[in-house]
Amino acid sequence: MKSTLADQLKPDARSLEERLAHFEEQHLRLSRQIAELRNEDAMKTQFLANISHDLRTPLTAIITHAEILRDGILGELNPRQRESVIGMINGGRQLLEMVSDILTYARSAANQLTTSHTEFTIEGLIDQVTTLNGPLIAKRALSLSIDVAANLPPVHADRDKIHHVLSNLLGNAIDFTSSGGQVWIRAAMATDEPRPTIFVEVGDTGIGIAPEHHELVFREFAQVDASPSRAHHGTGLGLAIARKFVELHDGRIWVDSALGEGSRFRFTLPCQPRQTE
Amino acid sequence: MVEDNALVTSATRILLEDAGFRVSTAATLSEAQRIAQSDAPAVLLLDLRLPDGDGLSILARLRDAGVPAPVVVALTGRDEPEVRARCLRAGCVEVLLKPVDIRALAGRIRSWLEPGAAST
Repeated sequence: MKSTLADQLKPDARSLEERLAHFEEQHLRLSRQIAELRNEDAMKTQFLANISHDLRTPLTAIITHAEILRDGILGELNPRQRESVIGMINGGRQLLEMVSDILTYARSAANQLTTSHTEFTIEGLIDQVTTLNGPLIAKRALSLSIDVAANLPPVHADRDKIHHVLSNLLGNAIDFTSSGGQVWIRAAMATDEPRPTIFVEVGDTGIGIAPEHHELVFREFAQVDASPSRAHHGTGLGLAIARKFVELHDGRIWVDSALGEGSRFRFTLPCQPRQTE
Repeated sequence: MVEDNALVTSATRILLEDAGFRVSTAATLSEAQRIAQSDAPAVLLLDLRLPDGDGLSILARLRDAGVPAPVVVALTGRDEPEVRARCLRAGCVEVLLKPVDIRALAGRIRSWLEPGAAST
C-alpha cells in the first residue's frame, strides 16, 4: 500500500522539482536582467552628466567672447551691432542655464549631489533673489510683495541650493503671471514641525495648475502641456530639481493651486541639518 | 595659461591683455614647459586634464628645469574635495572650478601676485 502511494506521488514530486528548478532559473535570469538594466541606466546618467559638463566649457567661452565684443574691448560697436551681440549673450545664458539644469538633474539621479552648509538668513536670501528679478518684475508690470516674519532664526543649509529653489519658484511665478498680476513671497516659522523649521511660500495670481497636475509638475521632464505653459521655455527639470534640493535638506515642497486661481508653492526648511549629517 | 580648449585660451588672452598682463598660452604640457623655460611666467593658470598628461606634473618638470616657481592656479572640471586637496598639496594657491569666470580673473591675479595690494 505504502509503496503504491509513494509510486503514485513520484511523478508529482518530479514535476514539482522541475517546476521549482524552472522558477529558480527564471528568477536568476530576471535578476540578471534587472542588474543589467540598472547598470545601463547608471551609464546613461553618467553620460548625461559628462556631456552636460563638457558642454559648459565651450558655451561659457562663447558667451565670454560675445561679452568682449559687447564691451568694446576689440573696438566700439554701433548700437544695432551691440543689440545683436547682447542677443547672443542672452541666448547663450539661457542655454547655459538649461545645460546646468540637466547636469544637476543627472548628478542627483546618480546620487552625486553634495551639500555645503553655511549659516544665512532667509530674509537676506529673499532680498537677493527679488533684487535679481527686479528688472523682470518691472518689465512684466507685476507687483511684488514680501512678508517675512520678524525674528526668524538663521538657517544652517546649502545657500546656493536654497537660492536655486527660491529663484526657480519666483521665476515660475513671474513667467506664468500675466502683466498687472501679483506675486508674493512669505516666510515664517512652520507651526506643525517637530524641530525648528522655516516655511516659505511663493504665490502668484497667474494661470494656476489643475489639482490633477500638482504632483506631475514636480516630476522630471514633465511640463503640463495644456498649451499656455508650452510658451514658456525650460527643460521641465526646474521643479524636479527644486524638490531634490528641498528634500536634501529634509524639507518638503508642494503646491496649492487651481486653474485660473494662481499658485502658491510652499516649502519647509529645517533651521539645522539633522545631527547624523 | 595651459589649457587645450582654444576658445577658452583666446578669450582669456584678450581679457587679460586688456587688463594689462602679458599672456602666453599652451595647449599641452610639453608646449608649456618649452615656453616657461624661455619666458618664466609669474602666474600659471593650469588645466588639470591635458592631452599629454596630468596638469600638475608640469610643476615638478619646471622645478627640475630650474624655472623660478610661479604662482599656480589650478583649473578643474571636478568639484571634488580630493581633487582640491591634491592641487593644494602640489602647491597651487587656488583651485578654480571650470568654467571659470575669466572676467573676474584679472582682479584675482593681481591679488595673487601681490597679496594685500589688489589695486596695484
